Amino acid sequence: MYMKINNLSFKYENSNFDNLNNINMEIKKGEIIGVLGESGCGKSTLLRVIAGLEIPYIGNIIINDKIVMNQKVFIEPEKRGIGMIFQDYALFPHMTIDKNITFGLRKFSKKDKKNILDNMIELVGLKDHLGKYPYQLSGGQQQRVAVARALAPNPSILLLDEPFSNLDSHLKNQIRMDMKEILNKLETTCIFVTHDKEDVLSLSNRVITISDGLIKDNYLVEKMVDIL
Amino acid sequence: MKQKKLNIFLILSNIIIAIILIPVIDIIRELMSKPSENWEHIKEYLLLDYISDTILVTVPSMVLALIIGVSLAWFVSVYDFPFRNLLKWGLVLPLAIPPYIGAYTYSGIVSYTGFIQTFFRNNLNIQVNPKFFDIFSINGSVFIFTIFLYPYIYMIVRSYISNNSASIIENARVLGEKGTGIFFRIFLPISRGAIVAGISLVMLEILSDYGVVSYFGVQTFSSAIFSSWFNFSDTNSAVRLSGILLLVVFLIITSEKLLRGNKKFCQTNSKIRQIKRKKLGAKSSFFIYFFGLSIFFLGFILPVGQLIYWAFLSYKDVLNIDFLKLIFNSIFIATVSTIFIIIASLIIGNFTRLSKNMTSKLYSKITLMGYSIPGAIISITVVLFFVDLDKILNFITRYIGIQNINFTFSLSIYMLIFGYFIRFLGVGYQAVESGYEKNGHKFYEASKILGKNDVKTFFLVDIPMLKPAIIASFALVFVDIIKELPLALILRPFNFNTLATKVFNYANDEMIIEASIPSLFIIFVTIIAIVFLNNIGRENKKDVYENK
Repeated sequence: MYMKINNLSFKYENSNFDNLNNINMEIKKGEIIGVLGESGCGKSTLLRVIAGLEIPYIGNIIINDKIVMNQKVFIEPEKRGIGMIFQDYALFPHMTIDKNITFGLRKFSKKDKKNILDNMIELVGLKDHLGKYPYQLSGGQQQRVAVARALAPNPSILLLDEPFSNLDSHLKNQIRMDMKEILNKLETTCIFVTHDKEDVLSLSNRVITISDGLIKDNYLVEKMVDIL
Repeated sequence: MKQKKLNIFLILSNIIIAIILIPVIDIIRELMSKPSENWEHIKEYLLLDYISDTILVTVPSMVLALIIGVSLAWFVSVYDFPFRNLLKWGLVLPLAIPPYIGAYTYSGIVSYTGFIQTFFRNNLNIQVNPKFFDIFSINGSVFIFTIFLYPYIYMIVRSYISNNSASIIENARVLGEKGTGIFFRIFLPISRGAIVAGISLVMLEILSDYGVVSYFGVQTFSSAIFSSWFNFSDTNSAVRLSGILLLVVFLIITSEKLLRGNKKFCQTNSKIRQIKRKKLGAKSSFFIYFFGLSIFFLGFILPVGQLIYWAFLSYKDVLNIDFLKLIFNSIFIATVSTIFIIIASLIIGNFTRLSKNMTSKLYSKITLMGYSIPGAIISITVVLFFVDLDKILNFITRYIGIQNINFTFSLSIYMLIFGYFIRFLGVGYQAVESGYEKNGHKFYEASKILGKNDVKTFFLVDIPMLKPAIIASFALVFVDIIKELPLALILRPFNFNTLATKVFNYANDEMIIEASIPSLFIIFVTIIAIVFLNNIGRENKKDVYENK
């Protein structure tokens, strides 16, 4: 297995209950997992825990045979090598899109940076927008920049938090297709959370449903089609 | 045919804006007239000193306040360490001490017989060089302005980081950036607007100050304006100096806007979420706590402790009927002026939100203008205006044959109320305007559809819904007026004292100890307002979360 989460539980400081309760899951390399659930069920918290932005009180996470978190080990988010796309994209507003995309490439040489930037720009189709600031782009274009920025450092796993919730409905279908194409092309292992079944159907291989911090179901997307 | 309706809010707004602008005519007239003989002397021998002293006080104070304010805001917002909450609120408190009170208090603390030198002499047997503690200097003024004004930057930047940058900072961490890198590469550039807003407030406060610089004998523009006015009775030179100062303020404010160009350093679509604070190790926690606590000690504990000690020594001489009268005067003038300001803010605010055109934008800018004009300039403008007003009214009454009425508005309390009105209208207006923005148009439109006209909607819907904004506005303006010194000094009627002017008089009569009780009263009122405004802020934040 490429990634394993075992017996993971997490509680926010002011919460009276576990926001994630005994989570167990396994993901194969290149798999795209859709995590489905209502708002407040704990799905975004799961991503934040995997990224290292929140610290669970019990459990362990192993990515590519490396323990990133257990009772003794905690690798900080800046050292985990995980990509994450936030619901609001969180593009750095004072940087042009090329600077945004190369932000995570500090350890690379100038030449490598340039190559990766060219590849990413090509991949997300924003060649004509280099040098622009985030506020000069549409919602869909901003999302592509966020994708390129997250993928540029070649992360071990990509996490997406409600990636389509900020988009107009007529744009959603096209952008879902584009995203699927990009993820398949790079064979990126990916977990994304959403409350929209359409997102899961069009993008993922497998579905996990969460309710009140507990995993309720875990099945292949084909089975979901049967259920629907 | 469509009949054009008379808009009462437009008419009232026009009147208020005219009231603000008419006094400027006097200033322009003075500037156009022939300079006085004294002006040549000022230009040749003094102007350069005024400019250099103003720069030597303002620039270092701004830089130091920036370093302290921004670093503390960063530490408190993104790191978790023991007693963080205590420090978070404690660091705001120096704002409750007006710099002139800070200056008087520190002059006592560091004097030969003061707490510090006595402590060194008696407890450590060390004879310190008194020169080292010479606070009556440019360096002393820089210390006072830094330690009592940095909270402006600290508060604005802290609120910006807490509300706007959670996902951006977290994203930078996920992309491999560490604390210092995030601070310089992400936080500083995106907070530029908030930092500039904070620094501008510090700059305006310093340029407006008269209490500190006059007490320490530093010749800044403000003290030079007062000196031309009081010592030489030279209105023309005072106006000319005001003109230069106003031009400098205007240039600084516009140049930052030009430098920023059309880059929008606001976020694209981030939502409000609190930053997940990073736990710090013992060493780093100790360093931050030591740094923050030292600033809190110097900016609040030490001066307030000293004032309380002096209050015990002087209360028998100070607490009497005259002191009650002082409190009454201060509260009375602050209440009346604040009520006028809030009424005007509500009227202009309603006009500008309903008519989104060039006039409304211009009116909004004019209303906000007062706060960026130093108090000395407003004082002169108001005095010239009232002297002219008396002349005109007396001329008219004589012209129509009334001989026994003599208008003397320029010797009355109205002049001071008018000065406060112009100076603090911007403060009140900003709070009311944000209230209008928060409510939006939907309630107004619903009321109109249900058959209520603009005026009825204003009284039945807008004002009740604006209650939190009105209360916040009242608290902000009221406290500013209680603390204000330069306007009160020039514009008050003969024999009329407020708490602030009494503190100034005591200090200048070498009665620092007696100044402690009125000073503590001003500080106490300000602390109540800070706590109160903080609670309103928390309520508003709760509303935002609930709406999300």
